[in-house]
Amino acid sequence: MTAINSIHPAALHKYLWSHELLERKKSPHLPPPETILRYGAFVGSAIQCHASLERTMEHARRHIADSESQGISVISGTVILADTLIQSKGRFARSWHAPPGGLWGCMILADTFLSRARTLLPLALGVACCEAVRGLGIPEAHVRWVNDVLVRGQKLAGFLVESHRGLCHGEAFHLLGFGININNDSFPAELTGNAISLRRILDGPVDLPGFSLSFLAKLAWNIGLLCYEEERELHRWDGAGEQGNQAGHLLLDQWMKLSDTIGKKVLYGYDIQQKPLYEAVVTGINSDGALVMRLGDGTEIVEYGGELLYLETERTE
Amino acid sequence: MAEEIDFDAILSKYRADPYEYAEIYASQTGVVNFKVEEGSSVNCTSGEWQQIPGSPLFEITRERNTKLIAARINGTISSIRTDLEGQFVEAGEKLLTIRHPLKKKEVIENILKEVLYLFPAPERAKYFFSLDIQSRIEKRGTKALAIKPGDEIIIMSLMKRDTPIYYSGEAGVIHSVYFTPGVSMDQGQALIGICASDKLPLIQKVITRVKADWDKLVDPVHAEE
Repeated sequence: MTAINSIHPAALHKYLWSHELLERKKSPHLPPPETILRYGAFVGSAIQCHASLERTMEHARRHIADSESQGISVISGTVILADTLIQSKGRFARSWHAPPGGLWGCMILADTFLSRARTLLPLALGVACCEAVRGLGIPEAHVRWVNDVLVRGQKLAGFLVESHRGLCHGEAFHLLGFGININNDSFPAELTGNAISLRRILDGPVDLPGFSLSFLAKLAWNIGLLCYEEERELHRWDGAGEQGNQAGHLLLDQWMKLSDTIGKKVLYGYDIQQKPLYEAVVTGINSDGALVMRLGDGTEIVEYGGELLYLETERTE
Repeated sequence: MAEEIDFDAILSKYRADPYEYAEIYASQTGVVNFKVEEGSSVNCTSGEWQQIPGSPLFEITRERNTKLIAARINGTISSIRTDLEGQFVEAGEKLLTIRHPLKKKEVIENILKEVLYLFPAPERAKYFFSLDIQSRIEKRGTKALAIKPGDEIIIMSLMKRDTPIYYSGEAGVIHSVYFTPGVSMDQGQALIGICASDKLPLIQKVITRVKADWDKLVDPVHAEE
Protein backbone atom coordinates (compact mmCIF):
# COMPACT_ATOMS: atom_id res chain seq x y z
CA MET A 1 0.00 0.00 0.00
CA THR A 2 1.43 3.37 -1.03
CA ALA A 3 1.76 6.09 1.55
CA ILE A 4 -0.27 9.24 0.96
CA ASN A 5 2.24 11.45 2.73
CA SER A 6 5.15 10.55 0.48
CA ILE A 7 8.13 12.88 0.25
CA HIS A 8 11.62 12.30 -1.07
CA PRO A 9 14.95 13.52 0.34
CA ALA A 10 15.67 15.27 -2.99
CA ALA A 11 12.44 17.26 -2.67
CA LEU A 12 13.36 18.27 0.87
CA HIS A 13 16.87 19.23 -0.26
CA LYS A 14 15.43 21.40 -3.03
CA TYR A 15 12.91 23.01 -0.65
CA LEU A 16 15.64 23.68 1.90
CA TRP A 17 18.02 25.41 -0.49
CA SER A 18 15.38 27.37 -2.35
CA HIS A 19 12.28 28.23 -0.34
CA GLU A 20 13.69 27.96 3.18
CA LEU A 21 16.91 29.79 2.32
CA LEU A 22 14.95 32.66 0.74
CA GLU A 23 12.69 32.87 3.80
CA ARG A 24 15.62 32.96 6.19
CA LYS A 25 17.39 35.61 4.15
CA LYS A 26 14.44 37.95 4.80
CA SER A 27 15.39 38.11 8.48
CA PRO A 28 18.63 39.80 9.47
CA HIS A 29 20.58 36.97 11.07
CA LEU A 30 24.02 37.27 12.53
CA PRO A 31 25.40 34.22 10.73
CA PRO A 32 24.69 33.75 7.01
CA PRO A 33 21.64 31.44 6.60
CA GLU A 34 23.68 29.15 4.33
CA THR A 35 25.94 28.38 7.30
CA ILE A 36 23.01 27.35 9.48
CA LEU A 37 21.38 25.30 6.74
CA ARG A 38 24.62 23.45 6.04
CA TYR A 39 24.73 22.42 9.71
CA GLY A 40 21.17 21.09 9.62
CA ALA A 41 21.07 19.76 6.06
CA PHE A 42 21.44 16.15 7.21
CA VAL A 43 17.83 16.24 8.42
CA GLY A 44 15.82 14.06 6.05
CA SER A 45 18.88 12.55 4.34
CA ALA A 46 16.79 9.40 4.21
CA ILE A 47 13.00 9.36 4.42
CA GLN A 48 10.81 6.30 4.85
CA CYS A 49 7.12 6.74 4.06
CA HIS A 50 4.69 4.09 5.31
CA ALA A 51 0.94 3.77 4.90
CA SER A 52 0.64 2.37 8.41
CA LEU A 53 2.91 1.51 11.35
CA GLU A 54 2.31 0.50 14.92
CA ARG A 55 4.66 3.16 16.33
CA THR A 56 7.32 5.12 14.49
CA MET A 57 9.60 5.14 17.56
CA GLU A 58 9.50 1.36 17.72
CA HIS A 59 10.10 1.17 13.98
CA ALA A 60 13.14 3.45 14.41
CA ARG A 61 14.56 1.15 17.10
CA ARG A 62 14.10 -1.86 14.83
CA HIS A 63 15.71 0.05 11.96
CA ILE A 64 18.74 0.80 14.13
CA ALA A 65 18.99 -2.83 15.26
CA ASP A 66 18.60 -4.16 11.70
CA SER A 67 21.20 -1.74 10.32
CA GLU A 68 23.68 -2.62 13.05
CA SER A 69 23.19 -6.35 12.58
CA GLN A 70 23.94 -5.91 8.86
CA GLY A 71 27.02 -3.83 9.61
CA ILE A 72 25.44 -0.71 8.10
CA SER A 73 25.73 2.72 9.72
CA VAL A 74 22.40 4.31 10.57
CA ILE A 75 21.95 7.53 8.60
CA SER A 76 21.62 10.38 11.07
CA GLY A 77 18.60 12.44 10.07
CA THR A 78 16.58 9.46 8.84
CA VAL A 79 12.89 10.40 8.94
CA ILE A 80 10.18 7.77 9.33
CA LEU A 81 6.66 8.85 8.37
CA ALA A 82 3.40 6.95 8.56
CA ASP A 83 -0.05 7.95 7.34
CA THR A 84 -1.57 6.32 10.40
CA LEU A 85 -0.31 4.77 13.63
CA ILE A 86 -2.06 1.82 15.18
CA GLN A 87 -0.49 1.78 18.65
CA SER A 88 0.84 5.30 19.04
CA LYS A 89 1.45 6.62 22.51
CA GLY A 90 2.59 9.79 24.17
CA ARG A 91 4.60 10.23 27.34
CA PHE A 92 3.78 8.06 30.38
CA ALA A 93 2.06 5.55 28.04
CA ARG A 94 -0.72 8.00 27.26
CA SER A 95 -2.64 7.07 24.15
CA TRP A 96 -2.08 9.23 21.07
CA HIS A 97 -4.77 9.42 18.42
CA ALA A 98 -3.05 9.16 15.00
CA PRO A 99 -5.59 8.62 12.20
CA PRO A 100 -4.96 9.34 8.49
CA GLY A 101 -4.54 13.03 7.69
CA GLY A 102 -2.02 13.94 10.38
CA LEU A 103 1.76 14.23 10.22
CA TRP A 104 3.02 11.35 12.32
CA GLY A 105 6.65 10.43 12.42
CA CYS A 106 10.01 10.20 14.02
CA MET A 107 13.55 11.21 13.19
CA ILE A 108 16.70 9.32 14.12
CA LEU A 109 19.49 11.62 15.23
CA ALA A 110 22.93 10.33 16.16
CA ASP A 111 23.89 11.80 19.53
CA THR A 112 26.88 13.92 18.64
CA PHE A 113 25.79 16.82 20.85
CA LEU A 114 27.41 18.35 23.89
CA SER A 115 25.37 18.56 27.07
CA ARG A 116 23.71 21.96 26.52
CA ALA A 117 22.65 21.27 22.93
CA ARG A 118 21.29 17.89 24.03
CA THR A 119 19.22 19.62 26.70
CA LEU A 120 17.84 22.19 24.24
CA LEU A 121 17.13 19.65 21.48
CA PRO A 122 13.41 19.20 22.39
CA LEU A 123 12.88 22.95 21.94
CA ALA A 124 13.88 22.69 18.26
CA LEU A 125 10.82 20.55 17.51
CA GLY A 126 8.30 22.99 18.94
CA VAL A 127 9.97 25.98 17.31
CA ALA A 128 10.10 24.26 13.88
CA CYS A 129 6.44 23.28 14.06
CA CYS A 130 5.29 26.70 15.26
CA GLU A 131 7.24 28.39 12.45
CA ALA A 132 5.68 26.06 9.86
CA VAL A 133 2.18 26.68 11.24
CA ARG A 134 2.66 30.45 11.29
CA GLY A 135 3.88 30.13 7.71
CA LEU A 136 0.34 29.10 6.83
CA GLY A 137 -0.95 32.42 8.10
CA ILE A 138 -1.79 31.41 11.66
CA PRO A 139 -0.01 34.01 13.83
CA GLU A 140 -1.84 32.88 16.97
CA ALA A 141 0.18 29.64 17.04
CA HIS A 142 2.43 29.59 20.12
CA VAL A 143 4.83 27.24 21.84
CA ARG A 144 4.03 26.15 25.38
CA TRP A 145 7.12 25.08 27.35
CA VAL A 146 8.74 22.72 26.54
CA ASN A 147 7.52 22.20 22.99
CA ASP A 148 3.74 21.78 22.70
CA VAL A 149 2.23 23.89 19.93
CA LEU A 150 -1.14 25.44 20.78
CA VAL A 151 -3.58 27.47 18.74
CA ARG A 152 -6.44 29.24 20.55
CA GLY A 153 -5.53 27.33 23.69
CA GLN A 154 -5.97 23.96 21.99
CA LYS A 155 -3.18 21.49 21.28
CA LEU A 156 -2.17 21.23 17.64
CA ALA A 157 1.05 19.27 18.02
CA GLY A 158 2.99 17.26 20.55
CA PHE A 159 6.54 15.97 20.57
CA LEU A 160 8.42 13.26 22.38
CA VAL A 161 12.19 12.79 22.47
CA GLU A 162 13.56 9.46 23.61
CA SER A 163 17.21 8.54 23.81
CA HIS A 164 18.20 5.12 22.59
CA ARG A 165 21.41 3.12 22.60
CA GLY A 166 22.08 0.66 19.79
CA LEU A 167 22.31 -2.88 21.16
CA CYS A 168 25.22 -3.90 18.91
CA HIS A 169 27.75 -1.11 19.29
CA GLY A 170 26.23 1.02 22.03
CA GLU A 171 25.93 4.01 19.70
CA ALA A 172 23.65 6.67 21.17
CA PHE A 173 20.74 8.13 19.23
CA HIS A 174 17.88 10.51 19.88
CA LEU A 175 14.48 9.57 18.50
CA LEU A 176 12.48 12.73 17.85
CA GLY A 177 8.80 11.80 17.70
CA PHE A 178 6.28 14.23 16.25
CA GLY A 179 2.51 14.26 15.96
CA ILE A 180 0.84 17.22 14.23
CA ASN A 181 -2.90 17.42 13.57
CA ILE A 182 -3.19 18.49 9.93
CA ASN A 183 -6.25 17.19 8.05
CA ASN A 184 -7.52 14.83 10.75
CA ASP A 185 -10.54 16.55 12.15
CA SER A 186 -12.20 14.16 14.55
CA PHE A 187 -10.82 13.49 17.99
CA PRO A 188 -11.70 10.99 20.72
CA ALA A 189 -14.20 12.24 23.26
CA GLU A 190 -11.52 12.85 25.90
CA LEU A 191 -9.66 15.22 23.56
CA THR A 192 -12.66 17.11 22.19
CA GLY A 193 -12.27 20.78 22.98
CA ASN A 194 -8.60 20.37 23.85
CA ALA A 195 -7.17 19.36 20.47
CA ILE A 196 -7.36 21.14 17.16
CA SER A 197 -6.19 20.52 13.59
CA LEU A 198 -4.96 22.81 10.82
CA ARG A 199 -7.96 21.81 8.72
CA ARG A 200 -10.29 23.10 11.42
CA ILE A 201 -8.30 26.32 11.90
CA LEU A 202 -8.10 27.08 8.18
CA ASP A 203 -11.56 25.72 7.44
CA GLY A 204 -10.23 23.56 4.63
CA PRO A 205 -7.72 20.86 3.77
CA VAL A 206 -3.97 21.45 3.92
CA ASP A 207 -1.35 20.09 1.50
CA LEU A 208 0.08 17.39 3.80
CA PRO A 209 3.30 16.63 1.86
CA GLY A 210 3.83 20.37 1.44
CA PHE A 211 3.47 21.00 5.18
CA SER A 212 5.75 18.02 5.91
CA LEU A 213 8.47 19.57 3.72
CA SER A 214 8.07 22.92 5.47
CA PHE A 215 8.22 21.34 8.96
CA LEU A 216 11.28 19.23 8.15
CA ALA A 217 13.06 22.19 6.52
CA LYS A 218 12.44 24.29 9.62
CA LEU A 219 13.58 21.39 11.81
CA ALA A 220 16.78 21.30 9.73
CA TRP A 221 17.21 25.05 10.35
CA ASN A 222 16.65 24.82 14.10
CA ILE A 223 18.91 21.80 14.53
CA GLY A 224 21.39 23.76 12.43
CA LEU A 225 21.10 26.56 15.01
CA LEU A 226 21.91 24.08 17.78
CA CYS A 227 25.00 22.88 15.93
CA TYR A 228 26.08 26.43 15.08
CA GLU A 229 25.70 27.54 18.70
CA GLU A 230 27.61 24.49 19.85
CA GLU A 231 30.54 25.52 17.68
CA ARG A 232 30.33 29.10 18.99
CA GLU A 233 30.24 27.78 22.56
CA LEU A 234 33.31 25.66 21.95
CA HIS A 235 35.13 28.75 20.67
CA ARG A 236 34.12 30.75 23.73
CA TRP A 237 34.79 28.00 26.20
CA ASP A 238 37.84 28.67 28.26
CA GLY A 239 37.84 25.55 30.39
CA ALA A 240 35.66 26.86 33.23
CA GLY A 241 32.55 25.37 31.69
CA GLU A 242 30.30 28.26 32.71
CA GLN A 243 30.97 31.11 30.33
CA GLY A 244 29.36 29.50 27.29
CA ASN A 245 26.05 28.97 29.03
CA GLN A 246 25.77 32.61 30.00
CA ALA A 247 25.93 33.87 26.42
CA GLY A 248 22.83 34.20 24.21
CA HIS A 249 21.54 31.36 22.07
CA LEU A 250 19.80 31.76 18.72
CA LEU A 251 17.43 28.81 19.27
CA LEU A 252 16.41 30.10 22.70
CA ASP A 253 15.89 33.58 21.23
CA GLN A 254 13.55 32.13 18.60
CA TRP A 255 11.75 30.05 21.22
CA MET A 256 11.17 33.22 23.25
CA LYS A 257 9.67 34.96 20.21
CA LEU A 258 7.23 32.11 19.55
CA SER A 259 6.25 31.15 23.08
CA ASP A 260 3.43 32.64 25.14
CA THR A 261 4.45 30.78 28.32
CA ILE A 262 6.27 33.61 30.07
CA GLY A 263 3.88 35.61 32.21
CA LYS A 264 1.26 32.85 32.27
CA LYS A 265 -0.26 31.47 35.45
CA VAL A 266 0.25 27.72 35.19
CA LEU A 267 -0.37 24.41 36.86
CA TYR A 268 2.88 22.44 36.97
CA GLY A 269 3.55 18.74 37.38
CA TYR A 270 5.99 16.16 36.07
CA ASP A 271 2.92 14.21 34.94
CA ILE A 272 0.29 16.90 34.81
CA GLN A 273 -2.59 14.51 34.14
CA GLN A 274 -1.90 12.08 36.96
CA LYS A 275 -0.17 14.26 39.49
CA PRO A 276 -0.38 18.04 39.16
CA LEU A 277 1.87 19.61 41.79
CA TYR A 278 1.52 23.36 42.17
CA GLU A 279 0.37 26.64 40.68
CA ALA A 280 2.87 29.34 39.76
CA VAL A 281 3.51 32.26 37.45
CA VAL A 282 6.19 31.76 34.78
CA THR A 283 8.80 34.52 34.96
CA GLY A 284 11.30 33.32 32.37
CA ILE A 285 13.49 30.54 31.09
CA ASN A 286 17.17 30.29 31.87
CA SER A 287 20.09 29.68 29.53
CA ASP A 288 19.58 25.91 29.70
CA GLY A 289 15.92 26.23 28.72
CA ALA A 290 14.76 25.50 32.27
CA LEU A 291 11.51 27.10 33.40
CA VAL A 292 11.72 29.81 36.05
CA MET A 293 8.51 30.32 38.05
CA ARG A 294 7.31 32.34 41.01
CA LEU A 295 5.20 30.54 43.60
CA GLY A 296 2.37 32.07 45.63
CA ASP A 297 4.72 32.77 48.55
CA GLY A 298 6.96 34.85 46.28
CA THR A 299 9.80 32.32 46.11
CA GLU A 300 11.35 31.35 42.81
CA ILE A 301 11.55 27.78 41.55
CA VAL A 302 13.43 26.40 38.54
CA GLU A 303 12.26 23.22 36.78
CA TYR A 304 14.26 21.26 34.18
CA GLY A 305 11.44 18.95 33.21
CA GLY A 306 7.73 18.42 33.62
CA GLU A 307 4.58 19.75 32.02
CA LEU A 308 2.32 22.77 32.21
CA LEU A 309 -1.29 23.69 31.86
CA TYR A 310 -2.18 27.33 31.37
CA LEU A 311 -4.72 28.17 34.02
CA GLU A 312 -6.26 31.18 32.33
CA THR A 313 -7.32 29.56 29.08
CA GLU A 314 -7.07 25.78 29.22
CA ARG A 315 -9.15 22.94 30.40
CA THR A 316 -7.51 19.66 31.40
CA GLU A 317 -6.05 17.88 28.38
CA MET B 1 29.30 -6.23 50.57
CA ALA B 2 30.67 -7.39 53.86
CA GLU B 3 29.35 -10.70 55.18
CA GLU B 4 29.30 -9.42 58.72
CA ILE B 5 29.11 -5.97 60.18
CA ASP B 6 30.88 -4.89 63.33
CA PHE B 7 27.84 -3.22 64.87
CA ASP B 8 29.63 -2.23 68.02
CA ALA B 9 32.35 -0.42 66.07
CA ILE B 10 29.86 1.40 63.87
CA LEU B 11 27.58 2.38 66.71
CA SER B 12 30.54 3.50 68.83
CA LYS B 13 31.57 5.78 65.99
CA TYR B 14 28.14 7.41 65.94
CA ARG B 15 27.99 7.43 69.75
CA ALA B 16 31.26 9.34 69.94
CA ASP B 17 30.33 11.81 67.25
CA PRO B 18 26.68 11.75 66.09
CA TYR B 19 27.29 14.31 63.35
CA GLU B 20 27.93 14.43 59.65
CA TYR B 21 30.51 16.92 58.40
CA ALA B 22 29.64 18.49 55.06
CA GLU B 23 32.67 20.10 53.46
CA ILE B 24 31.81 22.97 51.13
CA TYR B 25 34.15 23.77 48.24
CA ALA B 26 34.33 26.65 45.77
CA SER B 27 32.15 25.67 42.84
CA GLN B 28 34.13 27.89 40.47
CA THR B 29 37.07 30.24 40.52
CA GLY B 30 36.36 33.72 41.86
CA VAL B 31 36.56 36.13 44.77
CA VAL B 32 34.92 34.82 47.94
CA ASN B 33 32.86 36.82 50.43
CA PHE B 34 31.53 34.84 53.36
CA LYS B 35 28.01 35.36 54.74
CA VAL B 36 28.55 33.22 57.87
CA GLU B 37 31.11 32.86 60.63
CA GLU B 38 32.26 29.97 62.77
CA GLY B 39 29.42 28.84 65.03
CA SER B 40 26.66 30.25 62.81
CA SER B 41 23.57 28.07 62.48
CA VAL B 42 22.48 27.42 58.90
CA ASN B 43 19.30 25.96 57.46
CA CYS B 44 18.96 23.78 54.39
CA THR B 45 16.65 24.22 51.41
CA SER B 46 13.02 23.95 52.50
CA GLY B 47 9.43 24.44 51.42
CA GLU B 48 6.92 21.98 50.01
CA TRP B 49 8.67 22.12 46.62
CA GLN B 50 12.15 22.76 47.98
CA GLN B 51 11.74 26.28 46.65
CA ILE B 52 13.07 28.18 49.67
CA PRO B 53 16.86 28.45 49.43
CA GLY B 54 19.01 27.50 52.37
CA SER B 55 20.97 30.02 54.46
CA PRO B 56 23.48 32.01 52.39
CA LEU B 57 27.01 30.70 52.94
CA PHE B 58 29.14 32.83 50.64
CA GLU B 59 29.21 34.78 47.41
CA ILE B 60 31.71 34.00 44.73
CA THR B 61 32.35 36.60 42.05
CA ARG B 62 34.02 36.01 38.73
CA GLU B 63 34.19 38.65 36.01
CA ARG B 64 31.49 40.70 37.77
CA ASN B 65 29.17 37.70 37.80
CA THR B 66 28.24 36.99 41.43
CA LYS B 67 26.83 33.67 42.57
CA LEU B 68 25.30 33.17 45.98
CA ILE B 69 25.93 29.74 47.41
CA ALA B 70 23.37 28.55 49.97
CA ALA B 71 23.40 25.72 52.49
CA ARG B 72 21.87 22.43 51.37
CA ILE B 73 22.19 20.83 54.76
CA ASN B 74 21.31 22.28 58.14
CA GLY B 75 23.74 22.51 61.03
CA THR B 76 26.47 24.70 62.47
CA ILE B 77 29.55 26.14 60.79
CA SER B 78 32.33 24.17 62.44
CA SER B 79 35.23 25.59 60.45
CA ILE B 80 35.67 28.39 57.95
CA ARG B 81 38.62 29.69 55.94
CA THR B 82 38.30 33.33 57.01
CA ASP B 83 41.80 33.88 55.62
CA LEU B 84 40.24 33.58 52.15
CA GLU B 85 37.72 36.40 52.73
CA GLY B 86 37.92 38.75 49.72
CA GLN B 87 40.53 36.52 48.09
CA PHE B 88 40.52 34.89 44.67
CA VAL B 89 40.21 31.12 45.00
CA GLU B 90 40.38 28.27 42.52
CA ALA B 91 37.43 25.96 41.90
CA GLY B 92 37.57 23.09 44.38
CA GLU B 93 39.15 25.07 47.24
CA LYS B 94 37.67 23.97 50.55
CA LEU B 95 35.93 26.96 52.14
CA LEU B 96 33.96 25.77 55.16
CA THR B 97 32.47 22.80 56.98
CA ILE B 98 28.93 22.38 58.24
CA ARG B 99 28.41 20.11 61.25
CA HIS B 100 25.05 18.42 60.77
CA PRO B 101 23.40 16.58 63.70
CA LEU B 102 22.28 13.12 62.56
CA LYS B 103 18.85 11.71 63.20
CA LYS B 104 18.11 8.03 63.65
CA LYS B 105 16.84 7.66 60.10
CA GLU B 106 19.97 9.31 58.71
CA VAL B 107 22.24 7.03 60.72
CA ILE B 108 20.44 4.00 59.32
CA GLU B 109 20.68 5.40 55.80
CA ASN B 110 24.39 6.20 56.26
CA ILE B 111 25.14 2.68 57.43
CA LEU B 112 23.05 1.18 54.65
CA LYS B 113 24.87 3.30 52.09
CA GLU B 114 28.07 1.59 53.23
CA VAL B 115 26.63 -1.86 52.64
CA LEU B 116 24.34 -1.35 49.63
CA TYR B 117 25.38 -0.96 46.00
CA LEU B 118 24.39 2.62 45.12
CA PHE B 119 23.26 3.38 41.59
CA PRO B 120 23.98 7.05 40.82
CA ALA B 121 22.09 9.66 38.75
CA PRO B 122 23.92 10.14 35.44
CA GLU B 123 22.75 13.77 34.99
CA ARG B 124 20.89 16.47 36.89
CA ALA B 125 17.33 15.49 35.93
CA LYS B 126 14.06 14.08 37.15
CA TYR B 127 13.76 10.32 37.46
CA PHE B 128 10.96 7.80 37.59
CA PHE B 129 10.79 4.03 37.40
CA SER B 130 10.20 2.52 33.97
CA LEU B 131 6.61 1.42 33.41
CA ASP B 132 7.39 -2.27 33.79
CA ILE B 133 9.32 -1.77 37.03
CA GLN B 134 6.67 0.60 38.38
CA SER B 135 3.88 -1.90 37.82
CA ARG B 136 5.95 -4.65 39.47
CA ILE B 137 6.63 -2.36 42.46
CA GLU B 138 2.93 -1.57 42.78
CA LYS B 139 2.10 -5.28 42.82
CA ARG B 140 4.85 -6.62 45.03
CA GLY B 141 6.88 -3.75 46.50
CA THR B 142 10.56 -3.01 45.92
CA LYS B 143 11.93 -5.65 48.27
CA ALA B 144 10.63 -8.43 46.03
CA LEU B 145 11.94 -6.79 42.89
CA ALA B 146 15.05 -8.49 41.55
CA ILE B 147 17.10 -6.57 39.01
CA LYS B 148 20.23 -7.46 37.09
CA PRO B 149 22.72 -5.62 34.87
CA GLY B 150 21.15 -4.58 31.57
CA ASP B 151 17.60 -4.20 32.92
CA GLU B 152 15.83 -0.98 31.99
CA ILE B 153 14.91 0.28 35.41
CA ILE B 154 14.57 4.04 35.41
CA ILE B 155 13.62 6.80 32.98
CA MET B 156 15.64 10.01 33.15
CA SER B 157 13.57 13.00 32.10
CA LEU B 158 15.19 16.29 31.20
CA MET B 159 13.39 18.99 29.20
CA LYS B 160 10.87 16.46 27.85
CA ARG B 161 13.65 14.19 26.65
CA ASP B 162 13.24 10.75 28.17
CA THR B 163 16.24 8.49 28.40
CA PRO B 164 15.97 4.89 29.59
CA ILE B 165 18.59 4.07 32.19
CA TYR B 166 19.91 0.53 32.18
CA TYR B 167 21.09 -0.94 35.43
CA SER B 168 24.78 -1.67 35.73
CA GLY B 169 25.85 -3.08 39.05
CA GLU B 170 25.47 -6.08 41.28
CA ALA B 171 22.35 -8.15 40.71
CA GLY B 172 19.98 -7.98 43.65
CA VAL B 173 16.82 -6.43 44.98
CA ILE B 174 16.02 -2.75 45.31
CA HIS B 175 16.33 -2.05 49.02
CA SER B 176 16.27 1.75 49.13
CA VAL B 177 14.84 4.34 46.77
CA TYR B 178 16.44 7.76 47.17
CA PHE B 179 14.54 9.70 44.51
CA THR B 180 11.00 11.00 44.40
CA PRO B 181 9.34 11.03 40.97
CA GLY B 182 9.21 14.58 39.70
CA VAL B 183 11.91 15.94 42.02
CA SER B 184 15.25 16.85 40.44
CA MET B 185 18.30 14.86 41.45
CA ASP B 186 21.84 16.12 41.04
CA GLN B 187 24.37 14.23 38.97
CA GLY B 188 26.04 11.56 41.10
CA GLN B 189 23.36 11.41 43.80
CA ALA B 190 22.29 7.85 44.60
CA LEU B 191 18.99 6.89 42.96
CA ILE B 192 18.55 3.41 44.42
CA GLY B 193 20.41 1.10 46.78
CA ILE B 194 20.68 -2.55 45.79
CA CYS B 195 21.55 -5.57 47.85
CA ALA B 196 21.90 -9.25 47.04
CA SER B 197 18.77 -11.21 48.04
CA ASP B 198 20.67 -13.32 50.54
CA LYS B 199 21.97 -10.19 52.27
CA LEU B 200 18.52 -8.84 53.11
CA PRO B 201 18.54 -10.39 56.62
CA LEU B 202 21.84 -8.63 57.32
CA ILE B 203 20.37 -5.32 56.20
CA GLN B 204 17.34 -5.86 58.40
CA LYS B 205 19.68 -6.59 61.29
CA VAL B 206 21.35 -3.18 60.76
CA ILE B 207 18.05 -1.39 60.89
CA THR B 208 16.78 -3.27 63.93
CA ARG B 209 20.00 -2.77 65.84
CA VAL B 210 20.22 0.96 65.18
CA LYS B 211 16.57 1.46 66.03
CA ALA B 212 17.05 -0.41 69.28
CA ASP B 213 20.29 1.28 70.30
CA TRP B 214 19.97 4.80 68.95
CA ASP B 215 18.00 6.35 71.79
CA LYS B 216 20.62 5.09 74.23
CA LEU B 217 23.41 6.59 72.15
CA VAL B 218 22.67 10.22 71.87
CA ASP B 219 21.11 13.17 73.59
CA PRO B 220 17.35 13.78 73.17
CA VAL B 221 17.92 16.50 70.56
CA HIS B 222 19.17 13.89 68.11
CA ALA B 223 16.89 11.09 69.16
CA GLU B 224 13.93 12.17 67.03
CA GLU B 225 13.12 10.34 63.78
